[in-house]
Amino acid sequence: MNKQLQALIDSAQQKWAAERASGRPRVNVCVDTSSLARGAEETLQKMHEVARTQNIAVDINVTGSWGFCWLEPTVTVRTAAGTRTVLYAEITPDRVEEFLQQTVVEGVDIPEWALGVVEGNPTGEIDLLSDHPFMVGQVRRLMANCGTIDPGNIDHYLAHHGYEGFGHALEMSDEDIIKEMLDSGLGGRGGGGFPTGRKWDFLRNASASPRYMVCNADEGDPGSWVNRVLMEGDPHLIIEGMMIAALASNAREGYIYVRYEYPLAVERLQTAVDQAYEKGLLGTDILGTGFDFDMVVFRGAGSYVCGEETGLMSSIDAYRGMPRIKPPFPAQAGLWNMPTNVNNVESYANAPLIMRNGALWWSEVSDQKDKGTKMFTFSGCVNQPGCAEIPYGPTVRELIERYAGGLTEGSELKGFQAGGPLSGILPAHDADLPLALDPYRERGMFLGSGGIVFFDQHTNIVDLCLWMVSFCEFESCGRCTTCQGGSARAVELLRKMENGTARESDIERLRDLIQTLVWSNCLHGQFTLTSVKLALNFFEDEFHYVINHRRDPAGSLDGLHRYVVRSQTDPQLPDAVDICPASAFYDDNGTWTIDDELCVQCGACKEVAPNAIDVLDRFPAREHAAAAAGGS
Amino acid sequence: MKAEPTTQELRKLVADFRPGRGHVMPALHRIQDTYGYITRKAIEVVARQLNTTPALVYGTVSFYDDFRTEPPPETEIKWCSGPACHMRGGDRIRRALEAELNMPMGGHSDDHRYGLHLGQCNGTCHEAPQVWVNEKVVGNLSVVDAIHLARRVKGSE
Ligand SMILES: Cc1cc2nc3c(=O)[nH]c(=O)nc-3n(C[C@H](O)[C@H](O)[C@H](O)COP(=O)(O)O)c2cc1C
Ligand code: FES
Repeated sequence: MNKQLQALIDSAQQKWAAERASGRPRVNVCVDTSSLARGAEETLQKMHEVARTQNIAVDINVTGSWGFCWLEPTVTVRTAAGTRTVLYAEITPDRVEEFLQQTVVEGVDIPEWALGVVEGNPTGEIDLLSDHPFMVGQVRRLMANCGTIDPGNIDHYLAHHGYEGFGHALEMSDEDIIKEMLDSGLGGRGGGGFPTGRKWDFLRNASASPRYMVCNADEGDPGSWVNRVLMEGDPHLIIEGMMIAALASNAREGYIYVRYEYPLAVERLQTAVDQAYEKGLLGTDILGTGFDFDMVVFRGAGSYVCGEETGLMSSIDAYRGMPRIKPPFPAQAGLWNMPTNVNNVESYANAPLIMRNGALWWSEVSDQKDKGTKMFTFSGCVNQPGCAEIPYGPTVRELIERYAGGLTEGSELKGFQAGGPLSGILPAHDADLPLALDPYRERGMFLGSGGIVFFDQHTNIVDLCLWMVSFCEFESCGRCTTCQGGSARAVELLRKMENGTARESDIERLRDLIQTLVWSNCLHGQFTLTSVKLALNFFEDEFHYVINHRRDPAGSLDGLHRYVVRSQTDPQLPDAVDICPASAFYDDNGTWTIDDELCVQCGACKEVAPNAIDVLDRFPAREHAAAAAGGS
Repeated sequence: MKAEPTTQELRKLVADFRPGRGHVMPALHRIQDTYGYITRKAIEVVARQLNTTPALVYGTVSFYDDFRTEPPPETEIKWCSGPACHMRGGDRIRRALEAELNMPMGGHSDDHRYGLHLGQCNGTCHEAPQVWVNEKVVGNLSVVDAIHLARRVKGSE
């Protein structure tokens, strides 16, 4: 191992040991975007306040996420003697005082709030965290430090094998680094699955210099927050991965492009970069090896196509984030037309693990064609919207049952959406598909970067398509008529269905558009109608039903419903009149009536006065549904 | 509301940015972080500093959803357009907010006291459906909650 690096690691380990031997109990509060949404900042403040005012000797720290996002704020407590650490859930500010009193001052567990024992022995009342149903089957490699170290402290990272992978890489030739990456079988985690080692080799063999290393941290797919968990929980892992890639391919400068919506990730990455410079891990003559590498954390400003690798590069080196036509590929002409490598956050984050433990160890965890572990986030009609890391292979149904905590009460799975708005919608029976790349490719979509959204009988397929295509339309960069005009036209057709003015022939028009959009220059346009294409494969009847009957059993196509006053004497009717944001109620000679023209179908009146208001079908039943068929 | 920055102040603020180094967005971010929005003067100053044209700088500003060319409202309700929020009635919340605040998505009151902005999912889907009020999540909203929130923001409740 490089001597300077070894010295950094030794000193970090000493500091870590000293922190843990402070003789005080240690309380770690998870502070990330998810926990902040559930009051973690207030919890943290309250901890400090109670500790100060009540003179409690305790070390209070910040960590990233364990993945229990729906149970935040999570907090661990380690005893002063260091014999045990317990993870607790939902330590809201109002619980802090009692929490500190019991766990820290009195040193007793609170089994009702505990998730599990992290270090030490289980008790009759608290199991090991690794036996918690959410954790069983997970393999925490990328997330090994998430929840346990302070992401703002490089010494914590160094004390946990941090930069060791880079240290190994320093002793290897660039060919050997790439061979190790290829042997591991690591495929790009951004959705495409392209072998990461091959990409690095393209850059290594490029003819021009300087070369650039770019990390795609745009994570634009709504419902996906796996990259965020890593950036907020263990930012150095990503930086180290980029350094290994730069070493293998002789790149001089790195950019981490982070979406605007992730300010905390930007902050943590910037702190990590600053600390890496201070330790001599970035900059010139790194660790005395002669290797130079600079790193810039670059903030996006709200644009989905900037997640497309060429759009991302335009956003950095040019003005607008317009995707470029490929070829040339980034390895030939990327940033400033120089050879560039673009990988997803999670792709880079695997590199230190591979360098440290070897390709074999890394790939053996999965018996699938797709190697390694993958982080997933799940949301929609499930009980536990959170983040888990598992080897590829289990079925979607297992993911729902084991990690997502099953479906919410009353929900019947109707289908799921994986891979973001450019990908497709699958029906419930496809929940038997394994979490691996090929099955989704075969269906004409992709598993994607890790976000899976589940929906039930209350979502109409037309509504879901409209949501997805509207997103794509909004995010079109505007260069291709096929994409910008085509997606606008598709939105219009789907809106007609939503409003009961569509005809059967509109389905054919949608099919025509699918053909037209594939001519778009970049994947954004080419894949904008994947949702519609797959929905027409798997849910075609629902389109016909909506068009012909103008009925919506799911209850999510608001344009097919109307609100009327059912009971003039219901005591809650005045509340309904009062809550209406559109002033749609009027008094027609002592009879309250809702003006359809003004009503925005928000349903607030029904919420406050369920017995006074009826939701009816907007259109009369059709005697002959076929009347809607035929041309326009 | 802060006074509009002068050309001199703006020049000083972006003095360390250089042409051809990917400094357009960072310069614009710094201006927006400092003054809340990007003024007309700022576009000209950035163009000059980076040796480019106001047309290209303005093109950048207008391309991205989160650069502003007007002062931000004192209270901004950002509505989540993401999938989990959508499936839990997000669109009804949107229509209720637009109706109650009497403005389309992206609008603001004449006096800049409040405004409505389209937001993207940031992975706090466990709080769906939600809005952010000055960047703070207000989650698990019913439509009625959203209307009361809008009324409080307006000052009518
Ligand atoms: C419209 C569009 C948006 C994309 N957004 C992202 C993104 O947010 N994050 C990401 O890693 N890849 C995204 N991609 C894929 C990237 O273009 C690219 O394939 C990826 O960053 C390569 O990294 P990987 O090989 O490590 O997966 C997007 C692609 C398209 C067409
Ligand atoms: S869908 Fe609203 S936060 Fe994810």
